Amino acid sequence: MATPSSDITKLVHEPIDPVALAAHVRGNADGAIVIFDGFVRDRSKNRRTLYLEYEAYEPMALAKIQEIAAHLHNQFSIHRVAMVHRLGRLEIGETSVYIAVSAPHRAAAFDACRYAIDTLKRTVPIWKKEYFEDGSVWADGELPPVPSATSAVKPAS
Amino acid sequence: MPSVSQSVRVKVLFFGRLKEIAGLTQDSIDLPAEADIESLFAHYANRYPQLRQYRSSLVASCNQEFTPWTTVLHADDEVAFLPPVSGG
Repeated sequence: MATPSSDITKLVHEPIDPVALAAHVRGNADGAIVIFDGFVRDRSKNRRTLYLEYEAYEPMALAKIQEIAAHLHNQFSIHRVAMVHRLGRLEIGETSVYIAVSAPHRAAAFDACRYAIDTLKRTVPIWKKEYFEDGSVWADGELPPVPSATSAVKPAS
Repeated sequence: MPSVSQSVRVKVLFFGRLKEIAGLTQDSIDLPAEADIESLFAHYANRYPQLRQYRSSLVASCNQEFTPWTTVLHADDEVAFLPPVSGG
């Protein structure tokens, strides 16, 4: 099994290159790659979207993405992970998040990829602002789970 | 043991609509010793009253980990107030 250090995890401000990421995770011992390609939709709740802007708490967002990738290796029989989120202004149809997971067998790749995007959307500090013809709004989101006060360990400064 | 009168300086970050309400992305502030994140938020809610309505729909982080509002702050901690996340 590959070490997580051969994964690609990053936040980028330029277009995502899906071909390079898929090639990176593909190994000779693999039998499958499952890819999640999330891209900008042209409408939101029946309003026509012009474009989106993403911002992140970048160091924390990257750390959370890396935690997810590490968890995938612990939880699923997979080979490599690529998880990339783009920030800044994105036009309709442009990829905002791209996740590729390779594995010897498809079930693990499907499960890991699904877990990765679901967990990213719930726990990674990234925010999306939607721009319409008549204004803009911060997208509805999810509140990340927070450890309870009794179990929380104060992180080192 | 820090004395009661000693203050601690922490860094505070604002994101999303909080950044727009406060009109700043980061701040540095001296707090009384033993101050927690809840009291830090109360300070900013006094300065920017529009923030108060979002208190129940925020989580806090300290040094880039999600953390309870009762977390007591220490010198050089980096605190952020985080609206519901909407990446993807």
